[in-house]
Amino acid sequence: MNGLSARQAVLLVARREFVTQTRSRSFVIGLVVTLVIFGIYGLVFQFIGNQTSSDTLGVTPESAELAPALQQAASAADRTLTIVDVDRATGEQQVREDDLDALLTGAPGSYQLIGRDSVGSNLQGIVAGVVQRSTLTDALTAAGQDPVLVAQRGTVAVTTLEPTDPERGQRLGLAIVTSVLLFMSLIGYGTAVAQGVVEEKSSRVVELLLATIKPIHLLTGKVLGLGAVGLAQLLILGAIGLAGASAFGLLTVPSAAASALVAAVIWYLLGFFLYASVYAAAGSMVSRQEELQSLVTPIMFPLFIPFIFAVSVLPGDPRNTVGAVLSFIPFFAPTLMPARAALGVAPWWQVGIAIVLTLATIVGVVQLAARVYRNSVLRTGARVSWSEALRGTTRT
Amino acid sequence: MISGGLELTGLGKRFGTRVALDDVSFTVRPGELFGFVGSNGAGKTTTMRIVLGVLSADAGEVRWDGAPIDADVRRRIGYMPEERGLYPKMKVRDQLEYLARLHGIGAPEARRAVETWTERLGVAERLGDEVQKLSLGNQQRVQLCAALVHDPQVLVLDEPFSGLDPSAVEVMSGVLRDAADKGVPVVFSSHQLDLVERLCDRVGIISAGRMVAVGTVEELRSGGVERIDVVGPSGAGWAAGLAGVSVVSSEDGRTRVQLDNGASDQEVLRAALSAGPVHEFARFRPPLTELYRDVVTAGGAR
Repeated sequence: MNGLSARQAVLLVARREFVTQTRSRSFVIGLVVTLVIFGIYGLVFQFIGNQTSSDTLGVTPESAELAPALQQAASAADRTLTIVDVDRATGEQQVREDDLDALLTGAPGSYQLIGRDSVGSNLQGIVAGVVQRSTLTDALTAAGQDPVLVAQRGTVAVTTLEPTDPERGQRLGLAIVTSVLLFMSLIGYGTAVAQGVVEEKSSRVVELLLATIKPIHLLTGKVLGLGAVGLAQLLILGAIGLAGASAFGLLTVPSAAASALVAAVIWYLLGFFLYASVYAAAGSMVSRQEELQSLVTPIMFPLFIPFIFAVSVLPGDPRNTVGAVLSFIPFFAPTLMPARAALGVAPWWQVGIAIVLTLATIVGVVQLAARVYRNSVLRTGARVSWSEALRGTTRT
Repeated sequence: MISGGLELTGLGKRFGTRVALDDVSFTVRPGELFGFVGSNGAGKTTTMRIVLGVLSADAGEVRWDGAPIDADVRRRIGYMPEERGLYPKMKVRDQLEYLARLHGIGAPEARRAVETWTERLGVAERLGDEVQKLSLGNQQRVQLCAALVHDPQVLVLDEPFSGLDPSAVEVMSGVLRDAADKGVPVVFSSHQLDLVERLCDRVGIISAGRMVAVGTVEELRSGGVERIDVVGPSGAGWAAGLAGVSVVSSEDGRTRVQLDNGASDQEVLRAALSAGPVHEFARFRPPLTELYRDVVTAGGAR
């Protein structure tokens, strides 16, 4: 009557983890906080974008003749430029009071752009370009050349061999959001696994559990249960994100978004099993939550590096070689490869190779982690050293 | 097997260079309450952990009904670890049902057992509370429920009485007695020797990893030296010249003498009578506390 198969044991443990986590207040709070953070990010980006793309420039009577050209250059650069006519003294006063971003004074040959403590590089660029062009135009005209003809001869035409991706911006957004989501889920639920292991150790309930089931079943159940919670969270966030983005018209390529979500799920699962087993092993080596931090921090580095790479380097240079190489390395692949795939620069065979490599690593890492866990989980008191954990000398 | 029950034979365990257990053997028969006593660090917890399979022995084996114990049998043991362990943030009901399920009990059965045992141990009204909100005494009761909810066929309890108030001690004693009466072998460790003496059918004393005595309290007494209490003549001068007799204590006309092998208790009585009227003459029945002290000192001196 009291039979309990390995499968039943694992399922019981997994179910407890899932129910306990999803019922806890922190799960809902975590979801809400994540959504709020994403919302704030969106607003901040929009705000920054609006801020920097508009400038206010004061022009004195001598420099006022450049105003039409400046206006034209600004609109060509997709920026809003407000030009105000002032005399020099008021202009400087307004610059000092931040009513003007800069003041342009002087006549041809002695133009001066005055800022408060600096002048925005965009504004500088526009003004410098206009001044240069007007100087050139004047010089060419004086030399009897037609400035329009010269300008035409001096252009270079840009074409691409493959059609440019009109949805590039959206793909970039998807890649970054995917990376951020994966990064947060892996860190969050990896840490949850470590904390869960320590909780069982510090509350000593683990001895009671291990009197009924094997350490590997307890470990597997915990990883599966928490992994399922993380997956649920990922799907909820992904669905809300997709729905929200489509509703606001930010997303016009639902197929790309759907495939990014599928990729996110696959890579979440791969990354989670890889990292969760390492986190669990680390958790089993300490007896108190306070000791855990120093042990899990190093585990976060292999997550941080590709994450930072994915959000800082790849957007500007999707075909970056270092990024391409790193995206095959199992511990980096879970956050880098999906980002590259979302950017459309990783063909399917590259994704396949990365998945196979990661799977192979998971098999090895899980075995190692299970060994460390088995050897450490019942040892309380001082931190278990790596050599003891791997060798397996038992001690109470 | 004639004896059946839980048999420990020749258990040995080392932690590095320290010998924790050396040839520990004893049997707990079905329906028997076995008290396992010894000082801190003597090896009680290690022995129990080996029985539960939480720790593996370097030598010897644990048998149940004549066959080496396996995971299926172990799952039917009710265990209370020395280090109390429950999920602090889990509700009492969820916790106990979960543990019962881990022991292989079906869900409806687990629910019923949780109701029954929490009722019996007086924590039924706390079923919906998180364990960490309970007093230590109540946590202890829940812990005992956890050892009982799966209708165990063996009970192994490490210090079940520590930290309990007198009424809880009564409840706990009753529960253990009932389990034994149903034919379950019960082994528990305790430092409360008077309780062990009152409750247990047999006692095992462990000292520095070795069993120094196993048997009923009466058997333990018979192995000890013979002492006689005499109430009557004041002072102990009357016993001074007797061969093989030494005075242990003398106070308010009560004299306790110890007899070497072969010394005659009748000689003692005659000597006492010749010194004055004797109101009481009885063999001293040392309590377990004293027996324990004797065997442990003897064991330590070896």
